[in-house]
Amino acid sequence: MRTLLLGMGNPILSDDAVGVRLASDLKRWLPPVPSMDVFEDCNVGGLNLLDVLAGYDRVIVLDSVRTSDGVPGAWYHFGLESLKQTLHLTNIHDVNFATALALGYSLGMQLPDCSNVHVFAVEVDDTITFSETMTPALEDAYPGFAAAILKEVEALVTPGPG
Amino acid sequence: MPRTITIDPITRLEGHGKIQIFLHDDGSVKDCFFQIPELRGFERFVVGRPIEELPRIVTRICGVCPASHHMASAKAVDGCFGSQVAPVAHKLRDMYYHAHYIHSHIAHFYALAAPDFVMGPDADPMVRNILGVVAKVGLEIGGKVIRARALAQKIQQILGGRATHLVWCMPGGVSKGLTAAELEEIKPMVEELAGFAEFSLQLFRDVVLANPGYVDLILHGPYTLDVHNMGLVDENNAPNFYHGNVRVVDFEGHEICKYEPNEYNRFVAEHVEAWSYLKFPYLKQRGWKGFKEGIDSSLYCATPLARLNVADRMATPRAQAAFEEMFSTLGGHPCKALLAAHWARLVEMVQNAEMLERYCADPEITSEQYRVIPDRITGEGVGIVEAMRGTLTHHYTCDANGICTSANLIVGTTNNNAAIQMVTKKVAQALIKPGKEPDNGILNMVEMAFRAFDPCYSCATHYLPGQMPLTIAFYKGGELWRELKR
Repeated sequence: MRTLLLGMGNPILSDDAVGVRLASDLKRWLPPVPSMDVFEDCNVGGLNLLDVLAGYDRVIVLDSVRTSDGVPGAWYHFGLESLKQTLHLTNIHDVNFATALALGYSLGMQLPDCSNVHVFAVEVDDTITFSETMTPALEDAYPGFAAAILKEVEALVTPGPG
Repeated sequence: MPRTITIDPITRLEGHGKIQIFLHDDGSVKDCFFQIPELRGFERFVVGRPIEELPRIVTRICGVCPASHHMASAKAVDGCFGSQVAPVAHKLRDMYYHAHYIHSHIAHFYALAAPDFVMGPDADPMVRNILGVVAKVGLEIGGKVIRARALAQKIQQILGGRATHLVWCMPGGVSKGLTAAELEEIKPMVEELAGFAEFSLQLFRDVVLANPGYVDLILHGPYTLDVHNMGLVDENNAPNFYHGNVRVVDFEGHEICKYEPNEYNRFVAEHVEAWSYLKFPYLKQRGWKGFKEGIDSSLYCATPLARLNVADRMATPRAQAAFEEMFSTLGGHPCKALLAAHWARLVEMVQNAEMLERYCADPEITSEQYRVIPDRITGEGVGIVEAMRGTLTHHYTCDANGICTSANLIVGTTNNNAAIQMVTKKVAQALIKPGKEPDNGILNMVEMAFRAFDPCYSCATHYLPGQMPLTIAFYKGGELWRELKR
């Protein structure tokens, strides 16, 4: 199974860098995984993601998210079904992730199927200030959630005993 | 009781616009504001860094048009080093940029504009998207679209070493040239893209022009503004996306001014409003006159349509034929019908493909003299290119050691900020009437006003959905009364 570990974010936009940093660290921390590529610094979305995902059987996305009342450092693991609540335009100059995948499926492209799309999203605070460092709250929480996400990703990509 | 309507396409982290429409007691539109939470501090972030690093850093400003920032930045940095640039480097950069244009214009036309015209502006939002378009026009065309984008992407990758977030342009040129073998690889891709550009134009004729209702909407709907036009032109006043002078032409076709990039701050100034994070550029020599249309207005658009409006001709023959067909159909040149920007993108795409063909036939394009090592620091440079979404200006200064001391950017969409405000209000006033409740169809018609500009406000382009992309909220007496989502 060809797997892509995808770090999403802007490395110079404060907390937006968290997905990029996680991908970089997980690349070092994970044991060797056959047929896994790591794209640490993916800064494109929409239709461009089809080009990135084409040819893979599984994708693990590391990204940031902000929800109402979310606490920086909290994190979620969800799948494609959770992304399907909307298939419309979420970005005014491109299509969203779920729409791009749906289009790719309809055109018969080789893409990860629904059960093999995993998104790990970390709650963040500031994503509009240009900075090479994350906010202190997210920085403090980083070791904890990074270790927890590592554990879940490792369970996904390494075969179980026996 | 006055009510407020909020159209909020904010979906995730980035600062996309929010439209707030204020209603009179009788339900008619009193005012309309399009508010943008702008990213903060980029100009400050780059101060103190080696100036030659900026083209590599600025690609992180925006994941939608990183190549535009890279090119404008490279040209500004060239200026800081005395503008000693290898001639073939300009050609290679321009070649890359034409491929980038095609890549971007395909996405906008097929994913964003086509749903309104193929499915209809008031179609159910569940089908008014690219999936609905593909279902209607056929999987074969969907496959063509994806393939054409992939080809454009591949050409960029071959030329620049990577498709996005370039690290290619350097002071005096580029870090790699084009080999003869790479050129041979590119040639059939260019041929296919040229065919795809013509195919897209034909699709526009078949789907949009064949429908009198759509033509009427473009020409006679509320989507027009009496403001002026800005765009980069070559020495023949043909559109040039990478290089040239900025020309401003009024909506009657008379030239207001034409200036070299390093003169920009004599001709353009930026107005600030307390209710918006984004500034409002205007023609400096006319002064800020408010959000006013008219021949004396100091406001302008910088869009694909504006670029064709300031042009006397196209740079290539097939694009010229498309240009003539377009303006003949629209009733003359220039044209004020903002929705024609979608057509203008396709005309531009024809020129992009023809320019790629021209470069493929240029014997100098594989030259190995693709960089001149600068031997001086002059300390200041202005780079202007046409981002797909409007004229993009980067202005830098550096000290004698080449360390950045200041940076000023006027990005493509900012040029259109005032026009977007005005047309959004105009459309809202035309469609939201007393006694007629706004519905999703009207919501989309309002959204079409700003979609014609393909506005780009954020600079971190990754996004995960998870919330409804568009919300319209009605308030009565300060309380939420009704909410529509899609």
